[in-house]
Amino acid sequence: MTTAISITDVRMEYPTPDGVKHVLDGISYDVTEGHFVAVVGPSGVGKTTLLRLLTGLAQPTGGSITMGGERLSGAPKGLAVVLQDYTRSLMPWLTVEKNIALPLRNEHLSKAERTERIRSSLAEVGLEGSERSYPWQLSGGMQQRVSIARALAVRPRLLVMDEPFASVDAQTRFDLEDLVLKVRDDFHITTIMVTHDIDEATYLSDEVVVLYGKPAKVSDVVSIDLPFPRSQVATRNDPRFAELRTRIYGKVRGLE
Amino acid sequence: MKALQRFWRWVLAVLIAGWLPVVLVAWWWNASADSQDPFFPPLETIWEQFKVNWLFANVGIHLVPSMQNLFLGFAIAVSVGISLGVLIGASESASRYVEPIIDFFRAIPGVALVPVFILLLGLDSTMRTASIAFAATMPILIATIEGVRSTNAVLLDTAQVFSLTRPQVLFRVRLPNAMPIVFAGLQVAFQIAFIVTVASEYLGSGFGLGAFTLISSDSFMIVDAWTGVLLLGLLGYALSLLFDLVERLSLRWYYGQKKLA
Repeated sequence: MTTAISITDVRMEYPTPDGVKHVLDGISYDVTEGHFVAVVGPSGVGKTTLLRLLTGLAQPTGGSITMGGERLSGAPKGLAVVLQDYTRSLMPWLTVEKNIALPLRNEHLSKAERTERIRSSLAEVGLEGSERSYPWQLSGGMQQRVSIARALAVRPRLLVMDEPFASVDAQTRFDLEDLVLKVRDDFHITTIMVTHDIDEATYLSDEVVVLYGKPAKVSDVVSIDLPFPRSQVATRNDPRFAELRTRIYGKVRGLE
Repeated sequence: MKALQRFWRWVLAVLIAGWLPVVLVAWWWNASADSQDPFFPPLETIWEQFKVNWLFANVGIHLVPSMQNLFLGFAIAVSVGISLGVLIGASESASRYVEPIIDFFRAIPGVALVPVFILLLGLDSTMRTASIAFAATMPILIATIEGVRSTNAVLLDTAQVFSLTRPQVLFRVRLPNAMPIVFAGLQVAFQIAFIVTVASEYLGSGFGLGAFTLISSDSFMIVDAWTGVLLLGLLGYALSLLFDLVERLSLRWYYGQKKLA
C-alpha cells in the first residue's frame, strides 16, 4: 500500500484580535493511494481548515503535507475539488460543457480529446445531453453532478470534497452517495471528503478520521471494514455499520 | 404556435409602451398647427424641414462626423476602461491607491474638460474624440474595478484549486463575473459620450449635429434648430434601444439566472 499524501505534525494558527487562535495541533495522518477517506468532527473543529491546507489554498504554520514526496506549496498537480456550494463554484456564464472544459485548458489536449473527456465525464455522472445547458437551469443535485464531472474530467490523482451533499435534499443525497461509490469503483481516485454526516462518512469510506478538540487533534482513525459493493439498504442495515457509526459518533461527541 | 404567441405578446408590449408617445405627438401636432410664435413653429413645419435636412441631404456633413466621433470615442473608452479596470480591480492595493484619483476625475463633468482638450489638441475631431473617450472612460473604469473586485471567494478558490493561471483567472473568471456591473457602467458611459459628442461640437466646429443645432439657433433658423433637436432625441432613443439589445444578448446567462431566481 503506497501512501498518496502524508500529513505530518501539521499545525495551524491564526492571529485574531483576541490573540493567536490554534486550530490544528499536530495533525498526522497518511492517506493510502486509492483510498476514500472521510474527515469528520464537530462543527468548527477545523475540518475546512485542514481541507484548505490539502488543496494548497493555505499553508500550515507548522509541519508539512507532502504528495508523492513533494511538499505542497499551492494547489498540487492533479487535484480536483467538489465544494458544497455548487451554485457558486460553477461559473454561471458558462454552459455545462464549458465549465468542465475550463480546468482542461492547461492540459494541452487536442480538441477531440477534450470533447471525449467532457462526454465521458458527463456520462459517468449520468448527465448525457446536458452539455449545452447552463448550470442554473439544472436542479441542485444535477449541478453537483456537473461539479463531480468537472472534477473527473481532469483525471485527478487527488479528489477533495467539502461537504459535497450538504445542500441537496435527502433523496438526491442518496443518489449522489451511490454515484460517488460508482466513481470510486471505476477510477480508484484517492479521495478526501470532509463531512459532518457520520452515516455518510461510514457508508462511503475506507477510513474515517475523527478530529476533536480545541485545538484539534486526530482523536481516532476508524478503518471501515464493510464489504464492497455497498448498498443503501444492505450496508446501512449491517450490524457492523451500526457498530462503526456508534464508535465514530462517540469520538465526534468527545465521549469515553 | 409558440412563435405566434410570442409575436402577439410583443405587439401588445409595443402597444402598451407606445400609446402615450403617440398621444403626445398627436397633441403637439394639433396644438401647434396654427402657431404664429416664431420660437414654436407648427410640428408639421418642423417635420417638412426635417425631411429636407435629414432625408438625407445633411446626413453626410452633420450626422456622419458626429457618429464617427461618438463611436470612436466610446470604443476607446470601452477598451481603456475595461482593460485598466481589470488590472486595477485584480489588485487590492492598486484599487485602493487609484480610486481617489478616479473619483476626482469622475466628479468633473465631462463637458467641462472640452476647453482643456481644445487647448491641448486644437479644434479638430481628434479633440472631440478625445473628450468623449476621456469622459466615458471614467464610469466604465469604476464599474469594471468594482465588478472585478467583487468576485466571490468560492469562485476564486475553485479557479485556484484547478490551477488556472493568473491571466485565466482575470479574463475567464473575474471579468465575465463582472460583466453585469460593467454593462451598467457602459450604459452610463454611453449617455455621457452622447452628451459630450454634442457639446464638443458647440465650440469651433461647422460640422456635426451639435454644431448644426447651435448655428441654426444662432442664426434664427428656429425650424432647423428644432429638426436638429428632434433628430438628436430620436437618435439617442434608438441608440439606447440598440444598447439594451446588445446587453440582453451578451448577458443572456445573467438575465436567465435572474428570471429563475
